[in-house]
Amino acid sequence: MATYKSIRYNTPVSNGGSRVLLAETTASSSATVSFTSGIDSTYKEYLFTFTSVHPATDDVKLTFQGNAAGESGFNETITSAMFRSQLDEGDSDSNLLYNAAADQAQGTAFQQLSDNGLGNGNDESMSGYLSLFNPSSTTFVKHFMGRNNMYQKDSYTNDNFLTGYFNTTSAIDEIQFKMSSGNIDAGTFKLYGVN
Amino acid sequence: MPRYHNINGVKVQFTAEEETARDAEEKTWADGQLNRDLLSLRNKRNRLLAETDYLALSDNTLADNMKTYRQELRDLPTGLDTVEKVANVTWPTKP
Repeated sequence: MATYKSIRYNTPVSNGGSRVLLAETTASSSATVSFTSGIDSTYKEYLFTFTSVHPATDDVKLTFQGNAAGESGFNETITSAMFRSQLDEGDSDSNLLYNAAADQAQGTAFQQLSDNGLGNGNDESMSGYLSLFNPSSTTFVKHFMGRNNMYQKDSYTNDNFLTGYFNTTSAIDEIQFKMSSGNIDAGTFKLYGVN
Repeated sequence: MPRYHNINGVKVQFTAEEETARDAEEKTWADGQLNRDLLSLRNKRNRLLAETDYLALSDNTLADNMKTYRQELRDLPTGLDTVEKVANVTWPTKP
C-alpha cells in the first residue's frame, strides 16, 4: 500500500470563509449588552459569541432581541424553536427535549438563548454563539441560529439549540442581550462579520 | 442601585422609565418561579414514566411495586404549591 506524505491542491482549501472581528465588549454588572453599530449590509452573516457569561442572579436565562433600522425598542416579532440535550453530573438523568417553554410563535418577547436555570455560583456560566443571517435584507425574514452550553442548577450540562427568524422585512441593525432577571455579572461578547 | 446598559462597550445608566420597566420584568420573572420549577419537575417525571411505559403494555402484567412507583410519579406534583416544596420533593425509587 502506498503511503502519501503530502497532498497538493490546485486551489486553496482554506478559503471557506473567515471571521472579521467587528466589536468586543466585556460585561461587568451590565443589565444589558447591546451592539448598535456594525450590523449592516457588509456581511451576509453576523456571528455573536459569548464566553463565560456569568449571571448576577441564580436560576435565570440569557435572552436576546433585535431592533429594526429606524425603529425604537427591542421588540421585533419572532418565531422560534428550541431543543436541548442534558446530562447531570451524577449521570442519572440524560434526556433530549423540545423546549416548548422557550419557543415563540409570532412573539415579541426577548428570545431565550439558554434554558432556564443558569446558575450564578462562582464556577457557573454559559458560553456559545448566535448567528444572524442577512440582517440588512429588505426582502426576507431574518434567520438566526444559536447554540450554547450552560451550567444548569442541580449540576446539569445543557446543550441548547435554537433556530428562528425575525419576522420582518425591515433591516435588523441592533441586537441586545440580557438576563431574564438581574445583571450580566461578567462575560465577553464579540461580534464578527463572516465572509 | 442603578442599572447600566453596555452599549457598544459604553456604560449608560438606565433612565427612570427603563428602571420601572425592568423592575416589572423582574417581578414577573420572580412570580413565575413556581410554574417554571413545576414544569421542570413534570418534564423529569414524564421522562421517568416513559422509561417504564413498556412494562405497562397490555400484553404484560405490571408488578405491584412498579404499579406503585408509577402512581407515585403521577401523584408527585400534587400539593406542590411553593418553590420550597418543589425543591425538597422526594422522588420515588424505581423498583
